[in-house]
Amino acid sequence: MIDSTVVELSRWQFAVTALYHYLFVPLTLGLSFFIAAVETVYVTTGKAIYREMAEFWAKLFVVNMALGIATGLTMEFEFGTNWSFYSGFVGDIFGAPLAIEGLMAFFMESTFVGLMIFGWKRLSKVQHLLVTYLVAFGTNLSALWILIANSFMQDPAGAKFNPVTMRMELDSFSSLIFSHDAQAKFVHTSIAGYVTAAIFVTGISAYYMYRNRHMAMARRSFRMAALFGVLATAGVITLGDALGFVGGQAQPSKLAAMEAMWQTEPAPAAFNVIAWPSQEQKRNLFEVQVPYVLTPLLTHTMTQEIPGVDWIEADAAKRIANGIPAVAALKVLSKDPTNADALAQFNSHQQDLGYGFLVKRYAPDQDVEKATPADIQKAAGDAVPNVFAMFWSFRVMVGLGLAMLAYFVLAVIFSVRNDVENRKWFLRLAPWMIPIPFIANEFGWLTAEIGRQPWTVYGLLPTWMSASSHSVGYMVFSLIGFVTLYTVFIVIEMTLMVKFIRKGPSSHGHGDHAPPRPALGGRAAAVAMMRKED
Amino acid sequence: MKTFLQFLIYMLLAVVAIVMGVILGDYGSWYFAWFVGTAMIVLVAAAGGAWMDAHDGTVDETEPAGH
Repeated sequence: MIDSTVVELSRWQFAVTALYHYLFVPLTLGLSFFIAAVETVYVTTGKAIYREMAEFWAKLFVVNMALGIATGLTMEFEFGTNWSFYSGFVGDIFGAPLAIEGLMAFFMESTFVGLMIFGWKRLSKVQHLLVTYLVAFGTNLSALWILIANSFMQDPAGAKFNPVTMRMELDSFSSLIFSHDAQAKFVHTSIAGYVTAAIFVTGISAYYMYRNRHMAMARRSFRMAALFGVLATAGVITLGDALGFVGGQAQPSKLAAMEAMWQTEPAPAAFNVIAWPSQEQKRNLFEVQVPYVLTPLLTHTMTQEIPGVDWIEADAAKRIANGIPAVAALKVLSKDPTNADALAQFNSHQQDLGYGFLVKRYAPDQDVEKATPADIQKAAGDAVPNVFAMFWSFRVMVGLGLAMLAYFVLAVIFSVRNDVENRKWFLRLAPWMIPIPFIANEFGWLTAEIGRQPWTVYGLLPTWMSASSHSVGYMVFSLIGFVTLYTVFIVIEMTLMVKFIRKGPSSHGHGDHAPPRPALGGRAAAVAMMRKED
Repeated sequence: MKTFLQFLIYMLLAVVAIVMGVILGDYGSWYFAWFVGTAMIVLVAAAGGAWMDAHDGTVDETEPAGH
């Protein structure tokens, strides 16, 4: 059996590298489409200011994208180096979307991003616009294929275990790419990227407006990003609800943990707004509830029962008992793949094969047939993820999402009234909002991934079986190496971003160092200033 | 004639979009929603920029066609 410290360190390493990588991804997803929107206005109106805007935001986009690629590449290798059993077990399925991502989406975005940056003088306006849209589609297609692969881990659709080859094999490619989890996750994640970009653009634009610099660009960018953001935030909240609905059906243990629901309650169940869950005592030490709200929120009905942790454990115990004969049959088949009795036994229990694996670590000599009821109960307890982490990471994400919606509603109102520049408090607040979507994205990722535990592939392959058998020293060394390297990457990113933002658009001088504000208030002042500067 | 052709093109696009929506049906309805939603977000943001310029009546900085 692989040392449990090595498994934990492998998990930490993947989590750390993924969290670093995921700092760069959402901005790339959203900024690409924002730039496309800016360039669309440039092509339709022909105003030079929009080209200047597109070039400026594209500069920041490229810095971010380059570091996103650098941090993402190592992660793909980690599957092979640190999760070799997992890679062998599901490589047939997991490899396909990752390969398509590399060959189609990544090549597409990488090729066209060069044209987008250097092609201004070589392409016509319409050709350049097309290139910008292709970059945006490419970056989002990258996310699509990665999330299809991830969704297979959450809700393994379109695959079948082959007892002869002892690995999962792809059964239906369309089931894989059209799985509800893949679709819901992609739309939620990519649109969360749009929100990230919108906050980033409004934050920097507000900074310029507060400093009375690059006003022409800042006002237009702010208006466009505010509209971009308010729609995207409404979308991300709606689609988050959809993802919760789909995820709840596919992963009831994730849902129970997310809501700190220890006991299955009769519908309609109460919603825990705030709680202090204790995994040891299997209850909430403190909770504030709103009655009747959870059931309609999660099931979109008033009658459907939501399984609590007690149900999850009881169900897992049953499934473990049913999965043990499948694992035992597999042992026979590994020596004699033609054994008909073993094959029949495997076929009648294969739906719980993963649960059979779950008890292996507790069974004497790792022989599942020797597992006692106490071992089964212990393994069933593992079927519940960390409730405290789940409950709070989910609430942080949702709370920040609602805060961003409020921010964008105000941003749109102020911008449409043309008095955003008079709201000094808002201009000061906006740059401080920039980290918020990044934090929300990270907590969203944590909710999704912690909620999948104890599985790497939900219900099929336990995490403790998936890792490679490295030494603890190797894992510690590589973990420190990654943290150091990625921290350097972040410092580089921040330095370049700050440098470019301070410099502003490589301008034709549009609105830079604008004249003192006229002694007019509200809309009249803003309109007067714009006329003067433009 | 130009307006009529534009109308035809947009109608064709709408028909393609509806047919895609029907064909994808239960399988890819959220992907389709993403496609439509993204287009809408981009266009509304773009309209916001154009709207600002139209309202302000700013000095025309229009570039000559091509560059």
